[in-house]
Amino acid sequence: MVSIEGVVKVYGDAGGYQALNGISFAIPDGQFAAIMGPSGCGKSTLLNILGLMDQPTRGAYVLDGSPVQDLSDAERTHVRRDKLGFVFQAFNLLPRMTALQNVCLPMGYAGLGRVERRERAKELLKRVGLAGKEHRTPLELSGGERQRVGIARALANRPKLLLADEPTGNLDSKTSVEILTLFRELHKEGMTLLLVTHDPAIAAQADRILRIKDGSVVADEKPARPS
Amino acid sequence: MNLGESVRTGFVEIWSHKTRSFLSFSSIAFGVAAILYTFANINYMYERRTKAFEISGPGRMDIQKKQVPGTVTAAALSKGLTTSDAEAIVEAMPWLYMVSPIMRTWADLKDGTFSESVQVEGVTPEWRRRGWVYQMRGRFFDDYDVETAARVAIALEPGGWAGKKPFWARWWKDEGFDLHVKRADLLGKTVTLGDGVYTIVGILKNPPKDKDPRWFFRSGGNILVPLTTAQRYLAGSSETKAYDAVDEIIVDTGNIDTVPRARRRIEALLSGRHRGVTDYEVSDFRETVQNMLENMRKYAVAVLAVGIVAILAGGVGIMNVTLATIFSRIREIGVRRALGATRADILAQFLTEAGLLGILGGIAGIAMGLTGIKYLTDDGPETIAALLWWHFPATLAISAGTALLFALYPAYQASRLDPVEALRYE
Repeated sequence: MVSIEGVVKVYGDAGGYQALNGISFAIPDGQFAAIMGPSGCGKSTLLNILGLMDQPTRGAYVLDGSPVQDLSDAERTHVRRDKLGFVFQAFNLLPRMTALQNVCLPMGYAGLGRVERRERAKELLKRVGLAGKEHRTPLELSGGERQRVGIARALANRPKLLLADEPTGNLDSKTSVEILTLFRELHKEGMTLLLVTHDPAIAAQADRILRIKDGSVVADEKPARPS
Repeated sequence: MNLGESVRTGFVEIWSHKTRSFLSFSSIAFGVAAILYTFANINYMYERRTKAFEISGPGRMDIQKKQVPGTVTAAALSKGLTTSDAEAIVEAMPWLYMVSPIMRTWADLKDGTFSESVQVEGVTPEWRRRGWVYQMRGRFFDDYDVETAARVAIALEPGGWAGKKPFWARWWKDEGFDLHVKRADLLGKTVTLGDGVYTIVGILKNPPKDKDPRWFFRSGGNILVPLTTAQRYLAGSSETKAYDAVDEIIVDTGNIDTVPRARRRIEALLSGRHRGVTDYEVSDFRETVQNMLENMRKYAVAVLAVGIVAILAGGVGIMNVTLATIFSRIREIGVRRALGATRADILAQFLTEAGLLGILGGIAGIAMGLTGIKYLTDDGPETIAALLWWHFPATLAISAGTALLFALYPAYQASRLDPVEALRYE
């Protein structure tokens, strides 16, 4: 699904701060991978590049079988819209819109009809356990519920890859477990998941942990998990 | 993202920032109101000119008495403007539609206990030929009245209002003679004018004040008498004045094309008769109208300038609001970009919001303009009636266009935001 080869990201001009030092790895279809590392190790930069929000300075990136490192801004936006789903630490729901409208948003950009959008959004909200709360605004939802809306929104355009940046960072441990369970269920349904975290307990739920330090992968391990 | 979607989002945004949106569209609205007023005024101006030409006659000229310095010499050479001048003009150019000599004076009118100094105009039957907007009871003067200097008079009655008294005329009251002529039916009565006794043979009722088409040649008379009567019995004493002196001769050639020719001949004729003393002034009516129109045009341009300034201020307001909106929504822009919004989507979204503000402002401005014109101007209903249908879409287009133009730069800035930076923005 994802394969990067020698990706380098330098901020500013040549000689500027190098966030990624020729990082390489591949994530096969349907894998649940976690990326771990101390803050400032380049996790966010990596996630931005994988999410096509940013471009690598050098290196190759193949997403779903096609190279994407040289795409234009508009092309990257379209790939992002159609193949990727983002789950944020701070949820990033639009505050003035209801849960349903938030989930509809990416489908609007994809050009789906209004009726179809609402149907699918309702389905997704039901899927994440928010049936009956479609018309609440984020302010009327708990943290865990907000993140569920965030996940439903990320799934709106049936992405191939779900990218989650510290999805439980703003949640208490009980809610974190619920969200994680949701991720595991999605994984079982065949979704490829890439989760950035610095919580070992959460990383332990993944199939694979990539440890990053100073812009390179320093360890690629399979967590010992009681199953 | 389609337009309907953007419009819906735009409305949500506008609604959730009511004060900010209201401020920016009100400035647009002021501009629109001013522009609409200008449109209305310019059009009304042309309508009135056409009407005024129809009533006053297309080939009208005014010959007016003029004071000259060095009176003693001048008086020796010329008697001033007289009835004979008018007769000479008729003799030279019998084809003229109207040659109407007028003499103006003041006299005391007494009717029972009523007594007031009124303005008297001495006229000939020719007076009827142009500018006839009256409703007449009784009769007008005939040649016999003029030949015999008959002691007959016609009273002019004020026209009142067409409908309900308009807002702006709340403090208007008919007083003195106007009131008297309305209350006491003078037709057939005998009144004292100056030191003579006159029979009122006719009453001319003016058109309603708010429908009066004579917007720049309204005569100021209260009482009409035959010209000869005025000259003989009512003229003030002046040693240099001829017995048949007049104040003005109004000429109408009957056709606009013959005005220059008639004017040249009249000037030549009078110059000879007055022995070169220019104690008169010939003014082409078109010049008078043109001058007035020129003034009105300047006024319209000034209002238009105010309108443009107001609308530009509104545009800057919209720019400000759009910038503020964008700053408060940088993170949202990041989220939208992450979810698949292209730069064009973001640009379209902010432009739509600004355009909506512009259209709302335009609608509010049209409402404001119409209300303002109706209640604050002299000729409200007529001015509004002079608006053509396309003035409304045109004003709306101006306001929406200004809003879009001024939102372009901030919206472009928003669309150029780096999504990563925008998402990280607190």
